[in-house]
Amino acid sequence: MSEVDMAVIKPEMMKSYIWLQTADGSIQQVEQEVAMFCPMICHEVIQKGMGSSKNYAISLPQRVNPAMLSLILDYCRFHQVPGRSNKERKSFDEKFIRMDTKRLCELTSAADSLQLKPLVDLTSRALARIIEGKSPEEIREIFHLPDDLTEEEKLEPLKNTTDDPRIRLLNRLYAKKRKELKERQKLKNIEVEEERVDDRSVDDLLSFINGDNGDSKGIKNSKSKKKNRRRKDQQKNTSANEAIKNHNKEPNGLNQVCCSAEVGQTVRAGVGATSNLHDVEDDIFDNKNELDDGDIDDEIDPALKEKIDREVEDFARRLNSDWPERMQEILSFGHERKPVHFSLNGNDSLRRYANSEQR
Amino acid sequence: MEITKVLPDDCISLIISLTSPRDACRLALLSHAFNSIADSNAVWQMFLPLDYIHIISNSSSPPSLLSLPKKDLYSTLCYHPILTHNGDMKFQLEKESGKKWYMVGARALSIQWVDTPRHWTWISLPDSRFCRVAKLKNVGRLEIKGKVKLNTLSSNTNYEAYFVFKLVRDRYGFRHTPVELDVSIEGTAAGEVRSVILDPPRNMPQQAKERVDGWLEIEMGEFFNGFENDRTVEFSLREDHDDQPKRGLIVQGIELRPKHKNNR
Repeated sequence: MSEVDMAVIKPEMMKSYIWLQTADGSIQQVEQEVAMFCPMICHEVIQKGMGSSKNYAISLPQRVNPAMLSLILDYCRFHQVPGRSNKERKSFDEKFIRMDTKRLCELTSAADSLQLKPLVDLTSRALARIIEGKSPEEIREIFHLPDDLTEEEKLEPLKNTTDDPRIRLLNRLYAKKRKELKERQKLKNIEVEEERVDDRSVDDLLSFINGDNGDSKGIKNSKSKKKNRRRKDQQKNTSANEAIKNHNKEPNGLNQVCCSAEVGQTVRAGVGATSNLHDVEDDIFDNKNELDDGDIDDEIDPALKEKIDREVEDFARRLNSDWPERMQEILSFGHERKPVHFSLNGNDSLRRYANSEQR
Repeated sequence: MEITKVLPDDCISLIISLTSPRDACRLALLSHAFNSIADSNAVWQMFLPLDYIHIISNSSSPPSLLSLPKKDLYSTLCYHPILTHNGDMKFQLEKESGKKWYMVGARALSIQWVDTPRHWTWISLPDSRFCRVAKLKNVGRLEIKGKVKLNTLSSNTNYEAYFVFKLVRDRYGFRHTPVELDVSIEGTAAGEVRSVILDPPRNMPQQAKERVDGWLEIEMGEFFNGFENDRTVEFSLREDHDDQPKRGLIVQGIELRPKHKNNR
């Protein structure tokens, strides 16, 4: 190059670049100040002297594919400029994270592998906002998660922590009750069918008549379950089943203690006292939840049934002696929404009235 | 795309810890992978107050509480209040948000004439967590004050203050005379003073509400605890106009409850 050419060299050419290689083999160069915004890249450059040329390109972690790298570099390019105001940065961030959930997850993963904490926090918050308030079913759909917990596992919230033998017995009791419920459900579905027909729209009836399975079946199940709830006032056993069913769908931690109490109360009712039925139902109907239309799988091996029955009776006796006060205390904290009291009408159907006070 | 194959566990932990305790419990029901992460200490530690170790170490509770798994500790603190500040305050967590929820016991309040036996007496009641509650024998002028340092409470939180009390059968002076309730942050303009009747006759509306523990509570006011926390918040209950004799009020304390954001 002649002297004149040297004089008109653009300033950009004097910038330094860092060479990066993604897992798919492709290599690119990135402005130094942008790339160095990532702690992992910074470390590679400073500690190991990498990235100065194509041959010494920094190998990025596998979780950083070219698309994610491009996004990350956009983020870095904006934020590494020192003069920006907080308002500008916030505004950029809000627009930046507008992407589908899948990309958000990939981006979180990529940013995490590059140790770019501010971006990890940003994307994590966005994902948290997507998750919060949703039911487990909805979340499974969004993130394509398998429903691979057994029903028993879902009902064992304390399993990992205390390994209390009483809790284990409780869970066996739940499983046993669930099985009974399933049997009763089958009977009830047949019985309730006539009355339900009126509730459905004409379309539902038509599609049902035409043999269409999908929606109408779903409606049928949820409605019959709702009706079953109201009908099962007399039977103390079934109220426990409701508790278990509802507990299935409830946040396990906050209500786990509540549910133990419900079952305990019910067992006690079965053995002697009858006055606690209403307390049990308070907690049942207290909980707002979505009913799962899927079948409940039972885990109990029929061969163990006898042993479990004995254990359950034994457990019931022990519950009576140990837990009365604890149950009361637990029940009194179990109310979250408007507690609803039930009482029996003359014709033995349930009547609801709202509780006047609440905690 | 299955999220647990895309994201490492500690990212998932972070995301869950940015939701709420209730969401975390739900998330534990999602799948095997989520089950262990959502129940983990990494997540539940984030729901506990930042200074939970300090609070528990300075309470009357056994230090073994600190060796519980964090989710259990959270649960325990929600349903089983502990006594702190030398037995003067009762502490628990508000279960939806994990925010601090205190009651200032009568012993920590400034009650005028409380140490004069012919005006007030200290008694022990089984339905109070505190050792002693104050029972009014006779005063003409009633003044109960309290204050709490804002940095004791959770920041960025709205709190409601409640006066927690009982009235015994042998009582007078509260039926027709209102008392004045006031909550204000020191150094700011005084909040609105509420005038309430603690013991209205049957045909008048009862402003106090009955609590689950059998005591009555009446709202004194609200305040917002922002981020700069060196101030104190002050409460007062007063009846000093009519100089008529008053008797039969039992004071448990003043409760500071985090306000729910929504109606959950």
